[in-house]
Amino acid sequence: MSSKTILYVEDNEFNLKMVRQLLARTSYRLIEATDGELGVATALAEVPDLILMDIQLPKLSGLDATRRLRADPKTAAVPIIVITSFALSGDDQKAKDAGASAYMAKPYSPRELLQTIRKFVPEN
Amino acid sequence: MSKEEATVPDGTLASAPMPAGWDERLTQFLLTRSPLGGLVRWIAGLNASVHAKLLAGYFIVTLLFIGMGVMSLRTIAKMSSQGQLLDEAHERVHWSQAIQHALALQMNFTAMALLLRDEATVESILRENNRFNNTLARIEKAAQPEEVQLIQRIRAAQGEALTTVADIVNLVRDGKVDEAMQLQLTKEYPLYVQIEGLVNQLVERERAKMDDLRSSVAAANRNTLILMASSAAALIVLALLLGFVISWSFILPVQKAHGFLSQVAKGNFAATIDVPNRDEFGALADHMNHMSQELHRLYESQRRGSQELQRLNEQLQQASKAKSDFLANMSHELRTPMNTILGFMEMVLDEIYGEVPDHLKEPLTDIQTNGKHLLRLINDVLDLSKIEAGRMDLALAEYSVQDVVENVRTSLQSLALEKGLGFVAAAQDDIPLALGDGKRITQCLMNLVGNALKFTKHGRVAVRVDQQGDNLIYRVSDTGIGIPKSELDGIFAQFQQVDSAITREFTGTGLGLHITKKFVEMHGGEIWVESELGKGSTFFFSIPLRVTDGGAT
Repeated sequence: MSSKTILYVEDNEFNLKMVRQLLARTSYRLIEATDGELGVATALAEVPDLILMDIQLPKLSGLDATRRLRADPKTAAVPIIVITSFALSGDDQKAKDAGASAYMAKPYSPRELLQTIRKFVPEN
Repeated sequence: MSKEEATVPDGTLASAPMPAGWDERLTQFLLTRSPLGGLVRWIAGLNASVHAKLLAGYFIVTLLFIGMGVMSLRTIAKMSSQGQLLDEAHERVHWSQAIQHALALQMNFTAMALLLRDEATVESILRENNRFNNTLARIEKAAQPEEVQLIQRIRAAQGEALTTVADIVNLVRDGKVDEAMQLQLTKEYPLYVQIEGLVNQLVERERAKMDDLRSSVAAANRNTLILMASSAAALIVLALLLGFVISWSFILPVQKAHGFLSQVAKGNFAATIDVPNRDEFGALADHMNHMSQELHRLYESQRRGSQELQRLNEQLQQASKAKSDFLANMSHELRTPMNTILGFMEMVLDEIYGEVPDHLKEPLTDIQTNGKHLLRLINDVLDLSKIEAGRMDLALAEYSVQDVVENVRTSLQSLALEKGLGFVAAAQDDIPLALGDGKRITQCLMNLVGNALKFTKHGRVAVRVDQQGDNLIYRVSDTGIGIPKSELDGIFAQFQQVDSAITREFTGTGLGLHITKKFVEMHGGEIWVESELGKGSTFFFSIPLRVTDGGAT
């Protein structure tokens, strides 16, 4: 069976590196995008099994990108975990309203992130 | 109210509006359309005291009445003298009638003498003659020139008649009766007829004079009455006008002062009062203008002061908002590297990068613990800055109180275990789903329990939630160091810990209680504490079971 693909849309190099190293020991295949528009384009082109979407992105915000992907039939069903900037009540609600399947407050624990990913897309 | 509304174009105050009664309208007409207005202003402008003006007014009226009295007295005197004249005229008519009577008797006695030839009768003739002459003399004394002439003619005729009578008497005495009778018929009788005609003329004349006098007296009396009545009326009108003019020269400034003071009372300190009076009222108006200027000056300086304060306040608010914005941004910026630091640290300790040597595990765990503490500080600062910037909103949703308590219990029980403290947390079983910001309520309870665990070295920490009517009562009690009574009031203020020695021992931001209080208040609830130094503290907060939108602000 081919491995599951996860798209991580994030502009911070260290966060990217961390998730890259976290997933390196798993069977998940990671693809990356560094801004909102690129994230939407990559998602539509690759149709990953799960998307990790940072909320604060250049060009297009994570919430807007989530809305676009939800509106497109190709990605409408793909689980999207929105990573909110800070654990504020309002951000959670905004993420839900935009169509996020789940949200994680930054700073998140890599361990919990991996658990959440596994909950949506079990590893082969 | 604006300045334009309050003052007429020349800057003086419009007089107070008058009610439209007929007497007020008449007064207004007299003051504006008649020369009385000018007179009122003239009196107002007189440089004399109110006392002197009033005295002068009364004095003038008194003089007028004295004049009226003198006139009346003179009229009465004149009337009485005219009555005397009338009496005299009446008397003269009476006398002339007496002459008539005496003449008739004289003629009668002469005829009788002829018949009786009696001396007594002759005496009677002479007596009547004397009476005639005496009365005639009395009339002559007060007679007019033309009457004097008539009287002289009567006297001349009477003299002649008397001579004739003497002749007749002598003839009678001599026994010559026939001759006497002849003389009486031819000479005496015509003489008497002539005298009678003259006397009748005199009587008519006196009567006519009396009638003239009587009618002229009546006319004079009538005229006098008319004159008296009209001068009395004129006097009353004059007194009324004088009263009007003097009183309005006082009333006008009082009305203006009334209008002016109403303006000042409404806050129009720019109003001025213009009173032409040069008496006490003028001085009063000057004082009022001075007062108004002073009030205006004070008002202006106070207004400038308050504007300055408002400007400063706005600056302060801006500065405060800038500070909060800066803190919010900084907190966010701090979070990104924190995420990486804590993330990598967790991955290292989870041995994603390979086995961690034992001697490195402790320092790495210390790094992680302090990193988490740093994150909590950042979170608190962020929450506070959002609350202070007014940008903290509650996300109202239904939540389970049992979940909140359980969440806190699982998060903190390891800490209690580490410190060897008893830790129980429970909620009343039958509390229904609550409405509020469950995440914030969890944060509040977490803060209180975290503090309790931090400040308790021995004993236990207990959490209990009960429903009381429409409210939830959260209770966190510990057997810790307690709080001195003097510190209880300030305990919920920001950056407040009981004292600096404790702060060093028990690290903390000093923001937790303040933030908890803010969140409780945003839910429409309240927070309080009961404590005894050395024995422990119990923190309570009470929030509505179901928060309405109104209570969330």
